[in-house]
Amino acid sequence: MYIDDIELEEAPTLEEAADALARHAPDVRVLAGGTDLLVDLKTGRVAVGHLVSIRRIEALRGIEETSEGLRIGALTTITALLRSPAIQARYAPLLEAAGRMAAPQIRNVATIGGNICGAVPCADLPPILMTLAASVELWSRAGQRHLPLEAFFTGPRQTVRRHDEVLTAVRVPEPPPGFGAAYARFGLREGNAIAVAAVAAGLRLDGAGTAVEARVVLNAVAPLPKVVDAAARELVGRAPDEAAIARAAVAARQAAQPISDLRGSAGFRRDLVEVMARRALAAAARRARESQA
Amino acid sequence: MIELRTLNVNGHDYPVAVEAGETLLDVLREKLRLTGTKKGCNVGDCGACTVLVDGEPMNSCLLLASSLEGKAITTVEGLARDGELTPLQKAFVGEGAIQCGYCTPGMVTTATALLAHTPAPSTDEIKEALSGNMCRCTGYAGILRAVQRCDCYRGEAGGGKAAGPAEAAPETAAPPAGARHENVGVSIPRVDAADKVTGRALYTADIQLPNMVHGKILGSSVAHGRIRRIDVSRALALEGVLAVITGADVPETTYGVSPARYDEHVLARDKVRHVGDEVAAVAAVDERTAEKALALISVDYEELPAVFDPRAAIADGAPQLHDRYPNNLNTLVDHHFGDVEKGFAESFHVREESFTGNHIYQCPMEPHAAIATWDHDGTLVLYTSTQVPHYVQYMMAHTLHLPLGKIRVIRPAVGGGFGGKAETTPLDFCAALLSRKLGRPVKMVYSRAEMFHHGRGRHKQHMRFKLGVDRAGRIQAFVNENYLDGGAYTSFGVATAYYAGSLMPTLYHIPNYRYLGRRVMTNKPACGAMRGHGVPQPRFAFECLLNMVADDLGIDPIEIRRRNAMDPDTITVNELDVGSCEFKATLAAAREKSGWDGKYGKLPPGKGIGVGSGGFVSGAGYCIYRGQVQLSHEKPREPFQKKAIFPHANAVVRVTEDGMAAILMIGAAEIGQGSDTVLVQMCAEGLGVPAARIRIRSEDSDISPLDLGAYSSRVTLMGGHAVARAGEAVVAKMRPYAAALLGCAETEVVARQARMFPRGNEAHSVAWEEVARRYFNDNGPLVGTGCYKPPEGLGGDYKGAAVGTSPAFSFGTSVCELAVDLETGQVRIERFTDFHDCGTPINPRAVHGQVEGAIVMGASETVLEDVQFDEKGRILNPDLHGYLMMTIKDAPEIFSGIVDSYEPRGPYGAKEIGEGSTLPVLGAVAHAIASATGVWIKDLPITPEKILAALRARKASARAGER
Repeated sequence: MYIDDIELEEAPTLEEAADALARHAPDVRVLAGGTDLLVDLKTGRVAVGHLVSIRRIEALRGIEETSEGLRIGALTTITALLRSPAIQARYAPLLEAAGRMAAPQIRNVATIGGNICGAVPCADLPPILMTLAASVELWSRAGQRHLPLEAFFTGPRQTVRRHDEVLTAVRVPEPPPGFGAAYARFGLREGNAIAVAAVAAGLRLDGAGTAVEARVVLNAVAPLPKVVDAAARELVGRAPDEAAIARAAVAARQAAQPISDLRGSAGFRRDLVEVMARRALAAAARRARESQA
Repeated sequence: MIELRTLNVNGHDYPVAVEAGETLLDVLREKLRLTGTKKGCNVGDCGACTVLVDGEPMNSCLLLASSLEGKAITTVEGLARDGELTPLQKAFVGEGAIQCGYCTPGMVTTATALLAHTPAPSTDEIKEALSGNMCRCTGYAGILRAVQRCDCYRGEAGGGKAAGPAEAAPETAAPPAGARHENVGVSIPRVDAADKVTGRALYTADIQLPNMVHGKILGSSVAHGRIRRIDVSRALALEGVLAVITGADVPETTYGVSPARYDEHVLARDKVRHVGDEVAAVAAVDERTAEKALALISVDYEELPAVFDPRAAIADGAPQLHDRYPNNLNTLVDHHFGDVEKGFAESFHVREESFTGNHIYQCPMEPHAAIATWDHDGTLVLYTSTQVPHYVQYMMAHTLHLPLGKIRVIRPAVGGGFGGKAETTPLDFCAALLSRKLGRPVKMVYSRAEMFHHGRGRHKQHMRFKLGVDRAGRIQAFVNENYLDGGAYTSFGVATAYYAGSLMPTLYHIPNYRYLGRRVMTNKPACGAMRGHGVPQPRFAFECLLNMVADDLGIDPIEIRRRNAMDPDTITVNELDVGSCEFKATLAAAREKSGWDGKYGKLPPGKGIGVGSGGFVSGAGYCIYRGQVQLSHEKPREPFQKKAIFPHANAVVRVTEDGMAAILMIGAAEIGQGSDTVLVQMCAEGLGVPAARIRIRSEDSDISPLDLGAYSSRVTLMGGHAVARAGEAVVAKMRPYAAALLGCAETEVVARQARMFPRGNEAHSVAWEEVARRYFNDNGPLVGTGCYKPPEGLGGDYKGAAVGTSPAFSFGTSVCELAVDLETGQVRIERFTDFHDCGTPINPRAVHGQVEGAIVMGASETVLEDVQFDEKGRILNPDLHGYLMMTIKDAPEIFSGIVDSYEPRGPYGAKEIGEGSTLPVLGAVAHAIASATGVWIKDLPITPEKILAALRARKASARAGER
């Protein structure tokens, strides 16, 4: 339960962080909040000789309002998300996910970048960010890459991020009129519980109340956040009424690839996916209708 | 890589050398010696290590110290300024927010940050803010009250002492006018509260002795195996490693709890019987090095087939754990009282059901810890986190072949036990052996995972119950057949197996009773005694079955309890002697207060209300070992005698030479339950002085005489008698001096409120301390002693009759209200209404604190908790994110009430509360879930998944019925 034989470099700039990462690859990890990484190091799930802390890189902090939406620095803590007036005003669904994460002590330290880069299959932010059409900025000496979040994950704890790259920011576009999203999540207890199954849903309605865009993303029931196109197809071109939502929820259930573990069997998780999908879609539809007005 | 950093802690800059991987928690505790910040889990699950960094609460176990330069760090030691508690700390002290105190520094630190940001938080905001701070004692009720009522709270109630949103428990702040007693029946704050809320209280792991080294134990990686060879050479070669011991270095003597079944070696000598079974121990310059060394010990196991289910383990041909227990049958109980066949034949209705319990672990917030050191005269000094200092002393003597008199046990503050610290641990033994080898103090602390592997949690029971009643629901006959999953060693298990039957007939009149209990060994950590020892799962099953039978007959569940309820002064069918009993009053009060009649059977789907009852012993009638206090090797095994050989509780009171204070010495184990406080109160009553004049010394066996410890809910009754008598003995010595000063007969002298006066003439008095000084002037030390032996002759003459005997029994009834999400199966426990007969309470707030804690612990074990094993016997969730306990957000609102009762065998009429308060809870929750869903879940824990499956099965069978 001790972290032994490790070197810590505090990189003052992105350049130095990238260089240090390149120098020590693959025996290195980026340290942001560290709430997952330090646990993994203590329990031996991760064993590396080097940590590169990016916490002193001021450019990675802060939430910026741009003409296209928000640019959230990678080091933004979960608490900072929850306290952001911009997010409170226009990105309420993000609060639903952020507010259910872990406990306040963790939220005060854990970062949005870490929650994404950790690529833990039950991380709460990626699915809701995906429904909000978020993208990520990756920086390296070779230049900056900008990819949609759904292209970022490749498997459990695996992403397209190269060893010499740093995730610098998450961009979330301004939600268009008629758009609503929601996150429905099931954990085994009220406080400080990992998601057993969760669904993020986003819907955009036209003036007639017909869904023109739909997105359903499953959490904790697949190796990575799972976009369910079949669920979207049940909704696009129709009014998201109870029947359509129910069909989409069944599609979500069918798309889930859950495992059985101590928090629940695969079958239970499938049941939950259907219920959570229904609830998330109903809330998203309600918000979408509200945002038309 | 060690670097010098400057850390700003509590306003001071400290230069400190830190390693790159070193956490703030370790630096605070080990380098700055600020031990108020606690290590509870070390991975961010429990919140005990919370500190403020620039005003925000964070887990110091998940912060690297080297990256905190320039930050303002505040620990619990930095909250109170100039010795003055903050308003929030005062509220924690005054509102019963503190029991064991191990979560308290993190809790008060987190709440301080909340009130700084949000002076008027709503109840939900408080719960959210504290959702990362686990508490196992208080049920969070006192903590919520403290935040809402502190003088800096500006919320709903307007701050100050106005009642918060949670319903206040009834309480006595001061004795009513004309009360017979001035110190008992009063809710004084805990005597240790201020130390605990400031981080001053020292727990074992907080103690640092000069020249101390650190030890760790290597546990087996296989569930069942023979040790072929252990190679420690690589570990010994590691820089900083000082010693390694294995089974070859430990005494041949086996140890345990039940004298007939001492079956554990300090370290495995030939076989390992569960994953985590202790194999070797290392001492090194620091814990980090000791832990590293464990990985360098190679053990060659011949893996043996393992067995994990007691029903499989008892079958012919199953893998055998111990030669001495054929078919792995560790304990067999076959009790038959009356004639059950006749009873069933005469019954109007008979119902038979099977129930399954779960593997519950106590999870005290403080991990087990021990420090051993040897004095030059050969005395072993052992600091240990235990509930049973005397039994530790006895077992150390037994195992190390030392006289008891050469062992000094010091019990520092203990961060909760619940039965998990009711026996001598491998830490105690290994620290002693390593310390003897090295001639240096050795400290050993379990990690959270090691606690789970050490085990001693609640036995999982597989139960087949059959109940017969007459037309009116009166019980005619009852049979229970239980398989107890014992794990790999006996521990308390013999007693557990008996308790699982013996306490069934104390609650209801059962004329014919048969109990068949089998405790079976399996390749899992040994199970032991946990709050309600052996009884909660059978009580859950019985309460469920009684409710089913009530439904079958159309009788209200509370009414069927009333019809069968135990009466005062009854000898039960199994010859237990029930004295005071206000069980019926608890039923009536719970019915009334909960609004039962308007709710039961009348709530919409998804809403449920349920009832359960329970009770417990007020202290075991007999000592765990037989005979007198004497090295067990020097005497033959003694026959059982139906009397206490020696007093189970003993106290000495010494009055200071100026008469202004009294030191109360009793070896009772304060583990958070509040025993120090109630013992001070009862001693003060005996002395006739205010409780504030008494200081208790309960932690050191060199100072305080023997008390058997904090188990079987015995301390209030037994320790209470001893301290009250010691106080009265002091007064008896003062009488002649007082009589001379007052000019009255000695028999007329009354001591009260630090005055002495002739009976009926309070105006004509002398100061208590003046009398004490006169005594000292003539005689030297003013000392009184008191002791308590349970009554002789308790229990019947059949085998096992001793288990379940007690001077007195408690009774209680809980009503649970909850909501179930019928789509997900999620249960939200909303409210508990509990009434208890605990005799006459000594400290009502402490009673409510026990009830609130028991309700949350009991509800948590009913719906959440389960230690899970894989097919190789490895624990899947030896941590606090996999083993889920209720957080403050999960805890229900609780109303705790006490019914009028007086127990003639108890001190000032008192009985127990700590364990009995758990017993009604499980059944009440299960019943409420059944009433919300229409399905009974008979398999603990009642998870959402099981509820959904049962709802689906019911739907399917309804459909099948339609076809």
